[in-house]
Amino acid sequence: MSLGDTLFTIVTFLILVIAVGKVAWKPVAKMMADRQQKISGDLDYAEKSRKDAEELADKRREELQHSHADAVKIVNRAKENGEKQRQQLLDAANTEVATLKKNAQEDIDQARKDALADAKNDVANLSLTIAQKLIGKELNATDQKDLIDDYIKRLGDANGSH
Amino acid sequence: MNEKYPQFTFYGLDFNLTNDLGVLVSAILVFLLVFWLSRNLKMRPGGKQNVLEWIMDFTNGIVKSAIPGSERYTFNLFAFTLFLFIFIANQLGLFIELDIGKDTWFRSPTASPVITMTLALAVLVLSHYFGVVFRGFKGYLKGYASPLPLLLPINLLEEFTNFITLSLRLYGNIFAGEVLVLLIRQWAFSGGAINFVSATVAEIAWQGFSVFIGSIQAYVFVTLGMVYTSNKVLPE
Repeated sequence: MSLGDTLFTIVTFLILVIAVGKVAWKPVAKMMADRQQKISGDLDYAEKSRKDAEELADKRREELQHSHADAVKIVNRAKENGEKQRQQLLDAANTEVATLKKNAQEDIDQARKDALADAKNDVANLSLTIAQKLIGKELNATDQKDLIDDYIKRLGDANGSH
Repeated sequence: MNEKYPQFTFYGLDFNLTNDLGVLVSAILVFLLVFWLSRNLKMRPGGKQNVLEWIMDFTNGIVKSAIPGSERYTFNLFAFTLFLFIFIANQLGLFIELDIGKDTWFRSPTASPVITMTLALAVLVLSHYFGVVFRGFKGYLKGYASPLPLLLPINLLEEFTNFITLSLRLYGNIFAGEVLVLLIRQWAFSGGAINFVSATVAEIAWQGFSVFIGSIQAYVFVTLGMVYTSNKVLPE
């Protein structure tokens, strides 16, 4: 048998394996491993980014909800304030109106009283003057009073009331 | 193919130059192919690199299906080179056949039983070697008496049948293919235009089919080699 062929084949094949390993296998296998590592790293990174984005979105949503609630609160407070202010103004106006009414009433009463008193005096003076004119003598007030009282007394007697 | 080859004796070793030439050309072609495919490697692989990585994944898959454990990384490069070498060697003789005078100077090296036996021997010797490496000498010896000590003779016999079937299957397929290629060629030149045309069509069909056979045989050789290796390397 051709033992030489066996030897030759084995040596050639061995050299081929070594050469292929050195020239192609190692660099390509390394590249494949690098790629695998890179892909898994990229996937991890993408996963992390996705999580971050989700968290951020959640935060934003929560903030939005908060601001919504805040807005509602602010509007409510403004409404309340407005209502309160309206009530205050109304109360103040009512009070003022009442005070004014009361003052006016008092003024009117005073004026009526004054007018009545004035009228009384005037009537007294007038009647005195008329009486003076009629009697033709000067009557002073005390005399007149006596006179009037006397007249009234007599009037009573005449009626026989005693 | 005249069954006569240029012989050459050197220090008492017989060399069949046809075989040696075929082996050398196959090895050089494999190297050039892989060298060309592996130029300009990139993180994002382009056309050539994709082809190379696909072949690597393919042979890695063959190894992995036989040896699922981490031991398989030892055999990846070997399986890759073996597959490409046998594949190219199988195809060579389909297209190039060189006869000078009475001697055949060039044909598929795998059409010679010596070459296929050498390759099978390389695979089996490696399987025994790594059986000792991975399981220890005791574990390796125990493998012969498993699953029953009674089966020791059968296990020993199996080593030889493995060797014979692995090498002769490849040899038989490729040799038969080449014989048929030559027979169809003789038919083509047996006279008459009809013979020539129909033989040409038949030759094309047979060559196409032989490409398929050569690919399958390369795959089968590597797969079975890895299965025999896994029997030695993996603990029972």
